Amino acid sequence: MAPYRDEHMLIIAPGSRTTHVQLGLPESLAPAQHKFATRMFLAPDGKSYEPYRIKSSKKEDSDEEELIEYPEDDEGAIWPLKDGRIDDLKCFLAFLHHIHGKLQPGLHIGLVIVAQPCWTPKDHEEITRFVFETFKVPGFLLLDSAIATTWAYGVENALVLDVGYTKADISAVSQFAVANRGTTIGFGGDNMTETLLSLVKGKYEPPFTKEMAEKLKQSNICEVLPPNMPLPGSEGFEEDISNPAAAASTGALASGPSVKITGPPRMNTEPGLDDVVEKEDGVLDIATIVASGKTQEFLAKAEKAKADKAAAKKAVKDREAAEAAATRATRIPNSKRLHNTWVWESVKSDGQKEKEREKEKTPEPVTAIDSAGPVQAAEDSSLPATEAAGQSKPTAKKDKKKQWEDDNPDLVRHEYQIGPERLMVADHWFIDRIADEIYRCVQGMRDMSSRQNVWDNIIICGGGAKVKGFKEAVMQTLNNRYLISPSSATMFMSELPSNIATPSGTGSMTPNASFTPTPHGGPTQSNSLLIAATTASNPALNPNLQSGYNPGYNTHSSHSQTPTAIKLASPPTYMPEYKDFHDADFLGACVAAKTVLVTDGGATKGLFVTRNMFNEEGPSAIHQM
Amino acid sequence: MASQPLTSSMQPTDVYGGDEVSAIILDPGFSSVRAGFAGEDTPKSFYTSYYGVAGDRTIFSDEDIHNPLIKDLEIRNPMSKDGVVEDWDAATQLWEYAITSRLTKFKQGDPRTNGLNDKDADVEMDAAEDEEKPLEEHPLLMTETAWNSSKNREKSIEIAMENWGCPAFWLARNSVMAAFGAGRATALVIDLGASTASVMCIHDGLILKKSVQKSNVAGNWVSSQVRSLFNNSEPKVELIPHYMISAKTPVDAGAPAQATFQNFDHKISDSFRALEEERVISEFKESVVQVYNGPNRLNSTHPSGIPNIENVKAMPGRVFEFPDGSNQMWGADRMSVVEGMWDERAALPVAGEPALTKAQTIPEMVKASISGVDMDLRAALLQNVVVTGGTTLLQGFTDRLHNEMVNMYPGARIKIQAAGLTTERRFGSWVGGSILGSLGTFHQMWISRKEYEEFGASVVDKRCK
Repeated sequence: MAPYRDEHMLIIAPGSRTTHVQLGLPESLAPAQHKFATRMFLAPDGKSYEPYRIKSSKKEDSDEEELIEYPEDDEGAIWPLKDGRIDDLKCFLAFLHHIHGKLQPGLHIGLVIVAQPCWTPKDHEEITRFVFETFKVPGFLLLDSAIATTWAYGVENALVLDVGYTKADISAVSQFAVANRGTTIGFGGDNMTETLLSLVKGKYEPPFTKEMAEKLKQSNICEVLPPNMPLPGSEGFEEDISNPAAAASTGALASGPSVKITGPPRMNTEPGLDDVVEKEDGVLDIATIVASGKTQEFLAKAEKAKADKAAAKKAVKDREAAEAAATRATRIPNSKRLHNTWVWESVKSDGQKEKEREKEKTPEPVTAIDSAGPVQAAEDSSLPATEAAGQSKPTAKKDKKKQWEDDNPDLVRHEYQIGPERLMVADHWFIDRIADEIYRCVQGMRDMSSRQNVWDNIIICGGGAKVKGFKEAVMQTLNNRYLISPSSATMFMSELPSNIATPSGTGSMTPNASFTPTPHGGPTQSNSLLIAATTASNPALNPNLQSGYNPGYNTHSSHSQTPTAIKLASPPTYMPEYKDFHDADFLGACVAAKTVLVTDGGATKGLFVTRNMFNEEGPSAIHQM
Repeated sequence: MASQPLTSSMQPTDVYGGDEVSAIILDPGFSSVRAGFAGEDTPKSFYTSYYGVAGDRTIFSDEDIHNPLIKDLEIRNPMSKDGVVEDWDAATQLWEYAITSRLTKFKQGDPRTNGLNDKDADVEMDAAEDEEKPLEEHPLLMTETAWNSSKNREKSIEIAMENWGCPAFWLARNSVMAAFGAGRATALVIDLGASTASVMCIHDGLILKKSVQKSNVAGNWVSSQVRSLFNNSEPKVELIPHYMISAKTPVDAGAPAQATFQNFDHKISDSFRALEEERVISEFKESVVQVYNGPNRLNSTHPSGIPNIENVKAMPGRVFEFPDGSNQMWGADRMSVVEGMWDERAALPVAGEPALTKAQTIPEMVKASISGVDMDLRAALLQNVVVTGGTTLLQGFTDRLHNEMVNMYPGARIKIQAAGLTTERRFGSWVGGSILGSLGTFHQMWISRKEYEEFGASVVDKRCK
């Protein structure tokens, strides 16, 4: 069999809403080339499926019927995936066929499909049968989306939280195999939009539509607040800024009350600045941060780092504005303001124009939500560069606005002063439920000794997780509720493993990872001892020993409580094109395609299904992977 | 879906004999339901047996029943304290959910899967009568306890044939399956599940009826002992499950908890709270509780004159942190809490429950079981002791069992077969079923649909001994 090459790879990652597709692997892995809405329409014959809506209408002058395609209409669409499950198999297969037909990949392709965690073995068989019988592919790989995500991150143990359209999938992955999983249906991105919509409905003029709520959710002023943080304007909210330094730095580029935020986010905004920060810091250790009680400061710091990045970018384009902004004395971060401004642009004329405009504006509907501070969003490339400057100079504002109107005669701008509703997109119950399901998944893993490894690598991905503050809120909730602190009672346990150096007692050996001495209230000296004592029964937990992979520790179950640390996994740094890891499963599928199909090419048996295997065993061959 | 042409080649024949069709193994227990395909090493579907009822809505699976926000959520279990089915309607739905959601095709618009988002739960359960039945393509092998009633057995085949449309069915004893899972046809099986502990002798794949012993010293009993320990410890440990806590603060060992609580605007049912408390207790059992493994018993005195309990007290304890952040060291208590399994006098008193009798302890059950069988068989049985069930994963359990048995049968060769992998121990009987179901020679054993139609449900009593 001819070997597979990069250009032979067809990767399909279906989601409930959008399906990411790529034909041929690029030199450097990048986000998917093609995006399809995961929907089909019933053809007029009532049996087959069509990619676009077709309506028959009578011709004006005769009785003949004519069929017209409405490519942009999604009325009557069948969305074959519901909550990730294959709800309508026939329609889903037709959808795969449509993608295949559209791309015309030829016969010699290696096909990789990313499977949703909730697909059943039966679904796997049906898909396998379909791709071999219809596409005649010589090689097929069906990859679980959580596994794909761990491929992308290059970690073997991880907890993958994938926040999708109407559900959040949680998978505990141990040694590249799913050990336990759970789904919270009704906790997805769309549910947040609905919440937001119900909150803002009727409060603002002109009234909000779902589309607007979606865009507002993606904007920078919409945030998930950390647990127990009071809403601005509510009881217990501190008006004054407790930490002027932090506030000043946070607000470095953020805005005074007069500064405008323009939404919706554009393609050109820089995605994934967050990731840059994390990359530079190495592991983003929420445990330490939370434990140190300096969450606010940390967030401010992170914010500052982001803002600095933004500043650097901006300086090139718009030095003037940056300088003007930087000279401002006091600023308040978005999460502490009662109101913040949001601008919605809609088209005066109806129909097609709006659609085009929408398309142009957001080819990828959710690109850059949590990137940088509010000014970032104002950095709207479709506006003249000076527009941004005008935002920080109220005097110039009027002219600029007028100029903008001249430039965009079709558009109407609505300025909203959005109240605290924008911070209520996901209430603490929303986050709590997800956190509890994560806890249940990890603690339900049968192999106790691998639980901590999973807690050390939490991956939060999926479009729904892009809402600003979401990751932080989940991590903080997990830490607040489930983290096991080193107990003062274990201080004098004599079970020290012999391979730990004598503790110095000065704290100099304290690893910077998970145990910060101060906040525990207990005795604070000799932290190494504390760590050694608490991790004695499971050396894998000990950050001192973590450097080398120690295969021996798995041999007996450790019988100690987990988690003693909860950490986000750091995204890989080797892919310069990839900054936004929210569709990590797609990236992982690319990596898998490259390794399994191209590089290995079937040298190792049993990594993917070949034509021969299918001929011999039928669709159940998929279960032997 | 019935018209789906893709599945046509999988259509079962009248007399069942297809090799390529995978059988489904269903192993229901008091705490969990295990289901999966024959020939695989672990069940793909593993669900809790507990289910929730909120108003007229029934909620299955761990994913949804731990949600404190569902109003009037009551937690129930279809199994009786004996590990046999009590509520057949719920059990059928639960098993069907376990099979369809993870193994075969999930039913569309099934109201039972609804979490919070769907309010219109009034869709008729059996609205789609003509639809493809969930198991039309798969023969089903189900396990049962050794003391299952003949009425229950007939009910099982009825459900499999009538409700699920299975082409073939078999009912197997779970202890026999556990022995098969350990590769033995003759064995003394000691099975400690959630609700019942059983000991019985199996010879050539058949249970020796006189050797069947059961008692309640299993997982739930350990939990009640742990509760009793918490209630009687100084200071009293208040068991607060995770859902009530919004954030906890680290405190010194033994210090009172400092936690922020959640506020609920509706009443949380007692059964829900009990379920959530059980999660904490499970973790306690996993990470703290240990079986004293000799010499002798915990309450006896060491030959050196020092009581064993004093030696244990000198051993390092284990710390357990509760969901509210309070934590303390558990010393000898973590062993005494399960000592009642072996020594009825060591059992902690549980309010409202009769004290443990000697006959209920594991050593006595083993003794009674062995004495119930023929002399000639005993040596072979003692060399093939199969230990299975989740509760046997208590740390030190097999060591202690070995010690006790050596004391009871001095001179006899005793060999304990306990799977090292947690999964194999927890799913022992499922694994046995998986092996049996994938054997080529087993294919002629199945009770086919035709036989069922000819002889009725009573065929199960004739065929499955």
